[in-house]
Amino acid sequence: MLRVSGKNQEPDSAEATPETPGEPAADIALVRDGAAAEQSTVEAATELVAFSEAVFGLDPDEIARTREALEAAVGAEGVVDSAAVAANFQRMVRIADGCGIPLDAPMLAMSEDTRDELSLGEFAASANTPEPGLGMKLAAPLLRRMHPLIVRMARRKPKNG
Amino acid sequence: MAASASWHDPLPLDATSFDYAASPWPIRADLPEANRRAWARLARPGRWWTGAERVALAAEVRAARECALCAERKEALSPFGVDGTHDRAPGGEFLPEVAVEAVHRLVTDPGRLTRKWFEGLMADGLSAERYVEIVGIVTTVISIDAFHQGLGFELEALPAPEAGEPTQVRPDGLSDMGAYVPMIPANKATGPEADLYGGRPFTANVFAAMSLVPECVRQLEELGAAYYLKNEHVVDMKRPSGRAISRPQIEVIAARVSAMNECFY
Repeated sequence: MLRVSGKNQEPDSAEATPETPGEPAADIALVRDGAAAEQSTVEAATELVAFSEAVFGLDPDEIARTREALEAAVGAEGVVDSAAVAANFQRMVRIADGCGIPLDAPMLAMSEDTRDELSLGEFAASANTPEPGLGMKLAAPLLRRMHPLIVRMARRKPKNG
Repeated sequence: MAASASWHDPLPLDATSFDYAASPWPIRADLPEANRRAWARLARPGRWWTGAERVALAAEVRAARECALCAERKEALSPFGVDGTHDRAPGGEFLPEVAVEAVHRLVTDPGRLTRKWFEGLMADGLSAERYVEIVGIVTTVISIDAFHQGLGFELEALPAPEAGEPTQVRPDGLSDMGAYVPMIPANKATGPEADLYGGRPFTANVFAAMSLVPECVRQLEELGAAYYLKNEHVVDMKRPSGRAISRPQIEVIAARVSAMNECFY
């Protein structure tokens, strides 16, 4: 999920946007350092991050200020969608950390480099996830290659029982 | 009546709630619809809490933001070194203190929750089932409130609770999957819970996290489909978002909010 594509073009989108110049490394770095959004390849990353931080901080004036900038960048409908996504993840983090769930084993194996890059082990909830066993570590390269298959399996319609 | 059957009962939706007619931004119709459904379910008796208790717990979500004890703990190097009593919402005095503690900590300091803290709640008399239902209530209210705060709207008034008793039905298929609470894995979601994960052969832990109270999982999916993406679309990064912002833009928001909350998962 963290390895976001820098391309804003979506294959079937009716309104593709041109690629935004930037540094792919910044797409990851902005997760921990909002200032890195300025170098991101994701269009309007600066405004999206600023708004996200404001929603987290709950300062109404800051929310209003960043929302105005966001609307200029992504439009009125984009503001609504952004508010909804930010709200959703204010919820999701509490589900994950409130229930103390471990990171799923395949994701744990596939994400080691990214987690190290972002120093996610600093988070208290990292204690809920045991280190992967040797088998899973060895399987990690294969799991990364199998990710498209995993996606297709996840999209598979369930059999009627 | 099995608790899962009640999920599919017709809901008495309040069409006057979540009225965005005066909004300066166009609000997709699925958003107020999802909010109204969530509010209607909030007011109903759940599996382990009555409707009145559920609405009172929801009020504590809002009270937590003004709680002096929570503010002091948030600033402290360790929240466990600060004792005191929480500033409660008016009318919620009948809630057990341990439930109020759970709500307030989930709201104000989720990044520093620990297994030791959870076990302390259990030692103080809160069951895992009642705790999970609290997580469901807190997270529903948090997200709907955050949506309003993000757009500068007033918070919606909490619903009037419905009468009735909790079903107190523990679902089948629970396993220890390494979390604080037991969960239903995808291959054990059968019978009344066969719909829980859309019939998929596997599911991520975050979707199974609240399955000790299956209605919380259903609520997660219903609200998530409007606020984010349908569960089955989450792993497909190449799928068009169907929103005014692209999938990469969505994930920038998701990742930054998650990191600021110090969410490892």
